[in-house]
Amino acid sequence: MSQWLANVIDRASSVSDWLSPARQEALTRLKTTSWPTRRTEEWRYTSLHALANLTLPETSTVKVMAEAPVVAGLNSIDIVFVDGQPTTDITSLSLPAGVTIHSLATADEAVQQQAQQVFNQVKPDAHLFGMVNDALAQQGVFIDIAEGVQVEQPIRVVNLVSDGVESHNRVLVRLGDKAQTTIIEHGAGQGGSMNTAFAEYVLGTEAKLEHYRFALHGEEAIHIGGSHFKMGESSRLNSTIVGYGSQISRIDTDVVHAAEHALAKMNCIYLLAPKEHFDLHSVIEHVVPNGTTEQNARGIVGDKARAVFSGRIHIHRDAQKTLAELHNRNLLMSRGAQISTTPALEIYADDVQCAHGATIAEIAEEDLYYLQARGISRKDALIMLNFGFIQELVSQMPNKALAAWLEPLLRERFATMES
Amino acid sequence: MLSIKDLHASIEGNEILKGLNLNVKPGEVHAIMGPNGAGKSTLGYVLSGREEYEATSGKVEFQERDLLELEVDERARAGLFLAFQYPVEIPGVSNMEFLKESVSAARKERGQDPLTAAEFLRKAKAACEQVNLPLDFLKRGVNEGFSGGEKKRNEIMQMIMLEPTLCILDESDSGLDIDALKVVADGVNSQRDGKRSFIVITHYQRLLDFIKPDFVHILADGKIAKSGGPELAKEVEASGYAWLEDHEETNA
Amino acid sequence: MSEQIDQAISREYEAGFVSDIESDTFEPGLDEDVIRRISEMKEEPEWMLEWRLQAFRSWQKMTEPDWAHLGYEPIDYQKISYYSAPKSMKDRPKSLAEVDPELIRTYEKLGIPLHEQEMLAGVAVDVVFDSVSVVTTFREKLAEAGVIFCPISEAIRKYPELVKKYLGTVVPRTDNFFAALNSAVFTDGSFVYIPKGVRCPMELSTYFRINELNTGQFERTLIVAEEGSYVSYLEGCTAPQRDENQLHAAVVELVALDDSEIKYSTVQNWYPGDENGVGGIFNFVTKRGVAEKNAKISWTQVETGSAITWKYPSCILRGDNSVGEFYSVALTRSRQQADTGTKMIHLGKNTTSTIISKGISAGNSSNTYRGLVKMGPNADGARNFTECDSLLIGDTCAAHTFPYIESANPTAIVEHEATTSTVSDDQLFLCQQRGLDIEKAISMIVNGFCKEVFKELPMEFAVEAGKLLEISLEGSVG
Repeated sequence: MSQWLANVIDRASSVSDWLSPARQEALTRLKTTSWPTRRTEEWRYTSLHALANLTLPETSTVKVMAEAPVVAGLNSIDIVFVDGQPTTDITSLSLPAGVTIHSLATADEAVQQQAQQVFNQVKPDAHLFGMVNDALAQQGVFIDIAEGVQVEQPIRVVNLVSDGVESHNRVLVRLGDKAQTTIIEHGAGQGGSMNTAFAEYVLGTEAKLEHYRFALHGEEAIHIGGSHFKMGESSRLNSTIVGYGSQISRIDTDVVHAAEHALAKMNCIYLLAPKEHFDLHSVIEHVVPNGTTEQNARGIVGDKARAVFSGRIHIHRDAQKTLAELHNRNLLMSRGAQISTTPALEIYADDVQCAHGATIAEIAEEDLYYLQARGISRKDALIMLNFGFIQELVSQMPNKALAAWLEPLLRERFATMES
Repeated sequence: MLSIKDLHASIEGNEILKGLNLNVKPGEVHAIMGPNGAGKSTLGYVLSGREEYEATSGKVEFQERDLLELEVDERARAGLFLAFQYPVEIPGVSNMEFLKESVSAARKERGQDPLTAAEFLRKAKAACEQVNLPLDFLKRGVNEGFSGGEKKRNEIMQMIMLEPTLCILDESDSGLDIDALKVVADGVNSQRDGKRSFIVITHYQRLLDFIKPDFVHILADGKIAKSGGPELAKEVEASGYAWLEDHEETNA
Repeated sequence: MSEQIDQAISREYEAGFVSDIESDTFEPGLDEDVIRRISEMKEEPEWMLEWRLQAFRSWQKMTEPDWAHLGYEPIDYQKISYYSAPKSMKDRPKSLAEVDPELIRTYEKLGIPLHEQEMLAGVAVDVVFDSVSVVTTFREKLAEAGVIFCPISEAIRKYPELVKKYLGTVVPRTDNFFAALNSAVFTDGSFVYIPKGVRCPMELSTYFRINELNTGQFERTLIVAEEGSYVSYLEGCTAPQRDENQLHAAVVELVALDDSEIKYSTVQNWYPGDENGVGGIFNFVTKRGVAEKNAKISWTQVETGSAITWKYPSCILRGDNSVGEFYSVALTRSRQQADTGTKMIHLGKNTTSTIISKGISAGNSSNTYRGLVKMGPNADGARNFTECDSLLIGDTCAAHTFPYIESANPTAIVEHEATTSTVSDDQLFLCQQRGLDIEKAISMIVNGFCKEVFKELPMEFAVEAGKLLEISLEGSVG
């Protein structure tokens, strides 16, 4: 048991709102869950030592007015949370027809009913911090896109956490049949902030979701969260997750093919500056036949940083004709950098095409030499080659405004990694 | 040598062949043409014994044996060869090994002595040359990485090596350019020895310019709608299959 | 004639570790006393007893690993007997006619020659006179080359310096629960020593340890290849191994000094018993090799059968430029379970490892690959290539792959790939339409699938392994 978890349980006991039944359940299970150690498979490579006895207030004494990062040309509908509290007046947002957004804290009964069809219905039960978020996340949003509605404007939920503050945030999204939308989860924490942020998405039949999650926290932050998807029949998901490392940075992403003919494309990029830690865990469940998943995770790990990747594909007995592919490619920049990658396959159906690959490679000297022989400095050449590796995934992002915003950010970060 | 009487066959409960009749004597070449979905490939699969295709009624006699009673490999060893429309790949099993095993099984059935390694290689080399495939393809996996044309030629090569009694060619011309077509046709023609029979299934008349059939049958709606000599193929080329609808109506 | 046979028999037992006066089998239970008695039976020197006792004391403080997911009853270590004498002449079958006909049928199918059948079935020595002379010439050849190959108990008595120097250096007594237990109670096993620069003139096979006709519960093998030497060692055989023992905890240590090479091949066929069960045999093996500079260690294994196996042959690539290889075919059918894999630990510079694992599952079985590739911080220029392929036959089996890849060196390269495939209906149909019956078709496809691994096996083993797969797959489809 850790002090922090004990505090969580304490605090959770006094939370009372319309989500209480679900919160109670989470609380009961939390009481009997042991604090993860290195021997706990799910936390094998990520130490929670820094969190174990941490005590942080839930509000900041210093009022820092933080604003959502500006992305030229994005033109998104922004919902901003600072230190767990909403700073956007959701009711005054001008929303396209068919789009409804409600704050979880002020949801009326009709909304509550709809939200409960998503709350804790998508993410896996056993995740410790998912349960913490179940118990403690009082702020968050429920986004509903009605049947057949195609939303042009991206919807962005921004979660900013100040130095020394703890917060918990939840996003619930429902796409009706044939609905289409882009949702961006943007998280950033300053200093020693602690934050859990979980998002659950339910996609209706033939719904299409373009999803982004940016976890760009400062190096002292502790950030643990997940983005979880339940696919409807013939639905489409294109998800991009970009993460910086930090003291403890852990993101879970899961896709459940609960209906046939769905297609999920998951890209993930991580760029770790010196001494950072980043852990991405992903589980793809193919429960029914004819699903397709393509996952590409690429990372560059800087000096004394550590990246952890765990990608599991689970093909159930009835999930015949599944196509599932997972590739994880990594570059280590220097001697102190470390990577642990564990792609796993659990296959119970035979008529499937399933493959995974994991590589850890280095930039070839010949490639470097070739660029230098054309007059490019070694430093620039390294950047070009290494970065090209990541750039490929950035250029696959469907939203070009985001890609244009992200690329220079990553380039700059990458320059600091070169030791 | 092959006699099909009132054959009905279905797949997944859908009846495709609805009372097909056909008689093939030794040495004859029968062409089967017809619109898509008529049941041409189904005929090939049913005769070769593919599991998903169920012969629900009718009789098929092959060399005085009840064909429908036999397993796929038994029918093959009895001398029935099906050249597939979409030959599948079997990586890891070399073409060489595959050929060796099947030739060996065929010879054993016929009471012939097995070929020595040298004899086999000689025959394989000759067959490769005939279909314009380089000898080293024997080392590759069965159909592995082969182009469509190479796969079709590989089928003909196997046919040459196995010396079957009845060859069913399921659209062996589809997707081929004129040169590949000629290679396939030459390969087939080289095997016409007056005793060996062929059922050539094709959608287009073009192949039949090179493999001249003795009989042409039009398969429509699960039955042979019309039979005739080689000129029937030319008729089809000229007027397509639409006339069949009128034909069916007048026959109804 | 019979005088000669008598002499031959008594020569085998001159080491005297079989004492007819003592009881043949110890009562179940394990304590320091039992260990003392084992050591006494083996006539071991004092240091060996001390070594065992220390291992035992460590074991008592350890906890058994949690294998809940394997779904078996926990083992009661006090209910096992830890020593049982090799079968005496009187108890052996007098001829093949007295041996289980099912066993004989399998031997025939595998093409095992008659006298070897007799040897494997433990038939009394007067019928295997031939084999004794075969063994004698074999031993002469080895002696000429300076190669030592004998039971480990013999080595402890005759070559104590060598044993003391290397025993427990690759798998320390405290390494894991079963290694500790094994260190305390091991009774059988091989000792192999190849002197500097010597290429062992023949493949060493456990066939020839006819002194040890027991399938050891706790086998301990130590192979030492001095600088520049080479040895190829074969363990097990394609013949089904009957066993009444529930638990096997073996330890194999390979020491490959600079520029040497050790090739260790295993073909194991656990007697399948009935169609229904996991046979209740638990097979926990710690196999590890340490490779010094420019040395090479290859593990090749073909396994079929109903044991619950926990076996991860590993290589510690300590010396620069050392090479580790792991080639494996694991076939499961009916309700069998296999959990196997390897660990490649790269410590030295420019070390390379290759892992090729082929799992074939049929029926309701489940086949798991579990591996670890670790690049240490000093493993400059190290390279690993891993390929894990699963072939699923039928839609009720399962195949799992759990690779753990860790690297702390930026110039080390790791490439890991895993694929799954099935014997498709289309493929089977093609083969059948070309006249091959379904069993032949499957066996051809499976053999093609395993090709890369089979070509690493010593020739005779490769042929046997192919046949073994064929037999094991019989009746598993359709």
